[in-house]
Amino acid sequence: MSVVLAPARFGSGQAVRRVEDPALVQGLGRFTDDVAPNDALFIKFVRSAHAHGTLLRVDAEAARAMPGVLAVYTGADLVAAGVKPLPAAAGFKQGNGVAMDPPPKHALGVGVVRCVGECVAAVVATSREAARAAADAVGVDIEPLPCVVSATAAVLPGAVQVWPGAPGNVLAQMHQGDAAATEAAFQQATCRVTLDVVNQRLAPSTMEPRSVLAYMDGQRLTMRLSSQMPTGVRAGLVATLPGQTLDSIRVLVGDVGGGFGMKTALYPEDVVIAFAALQLQRPVKWQAERLEDFLTAVHGRDLVSRAELALDACGKVLGLRVHSLANVGACPTGAGVAIQLLIGPWVSTSVYDIPAASVTVKAVLTHTAATGAYRGAGRPEAIYTIERLLDQAARELNIDPAELRRRNLVRPEQMPYRNAMTQVYDSGNFESMLNQGLALGDWAGYAARQAASSAAGRLRGRSVTTFLEWTGGNALEESVAVRVTADGYVELTSATMAMGQGIATSYVQLAVDVLGLPPERIRILQGDTDRANGFGSAGSRSLFTGGAAMRAAAVATVNHAKDLAAQALEAPAGDIDYAAGRFQVVGTDLGIGLFDLAARQSAGVITAQAGAKASAPTWPNACHVCEVEVDAATGSVEIVSYASVNDIGRVVSPAIVRGQVEGGAVQGIGQALCERIAYDAESGQLLSASYMDYALPNVDGFRAFKTVFDESVPCLTNSLGAKGVGELGTIGATPAVVNAVVDALVSAGVADAAKVQMPLTPETIWRALQGDFGAPVFV
Amino acid sequence: MPLLNLTVNGRAVAVAAEPQTLLLELLRGPLALTGTHQGCDTAQCGACTVLLDGASVKACSVLAMQAQGRNVTTIEGLAQADGTLHPLQEAFIACHGLQCGFCTPGMVMTAACLLKLQPQPSEADIVQALEGNLCRCTGYVNIVAAVQRAAQATSEVGA
Repeated sequence: MSVVLAPARFGSGQAVRRVEDPALVQGLGRFTDDVAPNDALFIKFVRSAHAHGTLLRVDAEAARAMPGVLAVYTGADLVAAGVKPLPAAAGFKQGNGVAMDPPPKHALGVGVVRCVGECVAAVVATSREAARAAADAVGVDIEPLPCVVSATAAVLPGAVQVWPGAPGNVLAQMHQGDAAATEAAFQQATCRVTLDVVNQRLAPSTMEPRSVLAYMDGQRLTMRLSSQMPTGVRAGLVATLPGQTLDSIRVLVGDVGGGFGMKTALYPEDVVIAFAALQLQRPVKWQAERLEDFLTAVHGRDLVSRAELALDACGKVLGLRVHSLANVGACPTGAGVAIQLLIGPWVSTSVYDIPAASVTVKAVLTHTAATGAYRGAGRPEAIYTIERLLDQAARELNIDPAELRRRNLVRPEQMPYRNAMTQVYDSGNFESMLNQGLALGDWAGYAARQAASSAAGRLRGRSVTTFLEWTGGNALEESVAVRVTADGYVELTSATMAMGQGIATSYVQLAVDVLGLPPERIRILQGDTDRANGFGSAGSRSLFTGGAAMRAAAVATVNHAKDLAAQALEAPAGDIDYAAGRFQVVGTDLGIGLFDLAARQSAGVITAQAGAKASAPTWPNACHVCEVEVDAATGSVEIVSYASVNDIGRVVSPAIVRGQVEGGAVQGIGQALCERIAYDAESGQLLSASYMDYALPNVDGFRAFKTVFDESVPCLTNSLGAKGVGELGTIGATPAVVNAVVDALVSAGVADAAKVQMPLTPETIWRALQGDFGAPVFV
Repeated sequence: MPLLNLTVNGRAVAVAAEPQTLLLELLRGPLALTGTHQGCDTAQCGACTVLLDGASVKACSVLAMQAQGRNVTTIEGLAQADGTLHPLQEAFIACHGLQCGFCTPGMVMTAACLLKLQPQPSEADIVQALEGNLCRCTGYVNIVAAVQRAAQATSEVGA
């Protein structure tokens, strides 16, 4: 690189004020629902009240006659108009080797409904009130059928069948690892640990619900929505809507009020809204009610596992074996299946050098909402499983849990390390993380704190969690287009997507490193498929792919502009230096500003483009140390300390990554302690359908995190040296909290404490203290 | 449609509204004040919090008619006319008290009410005040820190 990197106050590594914030704190953000054309119509969906049933009749006549109603659409109407089902999950096989055969996902239900909340009709009217009133007037006649909502029930002989293409309700299954070698490991083991673990179903719960505005711009359909993947939305609309092409649709994304994976999929509602705008040639608007997001936005997790660990007498892990059932809902998403069958198992051996592993996962259909990406997406489930197993093994072998982990960590000299699932880690010093984590959490001083808790009549427990995760979505390439304008801005356009994580600020910092300009001269443009297309933002990929491309594009801009400056200054390019927005002929006072140079170009701009490609995913890793207190009288759990040391490689934005880890940890704590999507087993009704019934972590929870970043082990497979950060905190916090609570229960003499299952509500813990762990996970 | 007279962010407003219209709908619709967000419809998330005669209310749970003759302050009305940010807005930026920013207007308005009633709140006071506001991004760590910072900044200005 021929560009001198000048340290800048706003450059990478500096804690800076986010460029996103001034608008957002004044209520001047531009979320999708904030855009309201004067002639906008409003859509209201009519949803199935039954989890399973035959759709006998949808009578729209009365609704069509109501005031303000422009259209009522049914599933039959959409089929007749040539609207195709949403792209189906694909790429996996049934147990017999035949390609899986999921049910078609119609935008509006046809024939059979398979989930409470499934859309069966849509009303478009001139106001929200009119649409709502008319939706109530749509007659929906569904003959209810029996349903099944849990994976363990769905695979029992005689269970209600969700779809003929999934005999026994098993849609697909996959095995990774070496079953024979794992069995051999178990044969020679002196200690075998078996645990049944439940990763309950969760609601991603972005504070901004799904939101869409579809309108015509001349002949083109413009889809403005809250999405992490605008290009994928465009492709999905082309695949479903008749007569549409990639050129005929523009997807725009403004401010996104949280993503967490929930806004990666194309939803049936999106297709109907686009269809309505095309039909009526008017803007059509929808923001999901919170109830609608609980019903049909993707859910996360929902994996039940029987997990086994084989160890020798010294605590060396010889083998890991996991059999899991993944409840993927009735009409699964591609991501929902891939996350459980493919991605989660990749990290099942985590930071441990486990020679043999075997992971088998079945994707099971039930009459529930589809699962999909939710922060961590498969890795939380896998890490939770191995961490629970290790703590149980430590108890059975009577080895300190930190020491047991130490004996099994992959060592730096083993890098690059190929795990038993054939995934290759490029870098990591896991023992150093462990040591730092134990020091930060004062592992050695625990006895005194435990005695103090005990004296206060409270049970204390602790845990240490060492772990890694896989980031990047295996979409490792990005490019950035640059425009330097005569009016004094550098515009950098990326196909990655801001969703509240502050990625634009990090990109500005990387551009400042190269361009040496004040940050207000730099504009990051995202969320417009007419400008840039790509994978979007998910899987903690944006910084190390998109950020690397930002830097490359900024360098390309300076290099290209230097040639232009050479012409303007009539000097050899080799004699010209660039710094802080100005080209200067070395040793003279001859120079020209970057923006003046742009003004001299015939088009009034300087353009450049460059990309970057990481050669592999990144493997962020960490050590989280947690202590809890349990009130035995009430069963309530209080987190009393949480220390984490995190290796995310090179840090670009210190305040942002701390916010990611700590905010992420609170989501992981939510899974550990309070969150659960619950369906009634008999009726299939969603019981947790509002924030009264679905407990999000609240402000009165734990906030006193001690969080440290160790930048000494940069990632070796991308030019920034950065590792993904968005999901790390969530992944570590769940096992950290649960293992600490189990430790507290064990210290209170609760036999079988490891049988406890999330969420660890006061009732669950109180019952566990009485020896009641509920029904067995597997019947 | 009945005519409604109220003061919004210091300006007298006369606007027609249906009896069933919610204050939230009035603000976001006819008044185009979209900084007040709709997050849950059931008065649990607090993203729609505004001040009604100085007291924080969830605008999804107040009828527009109930604001007749009263003063409404939204997030758009918090900064000074010259653009100077309110100490809370400044503190949320300085403390990285927001990520996606969707809950932020509600958090700020709730905290604004708190600081008016209690200029020097304890951490427990802040937590109690914000219990009706949900955030999915920050884990609340920097939100509480931001309110503490704003309280401190306000007291220094007043001193």
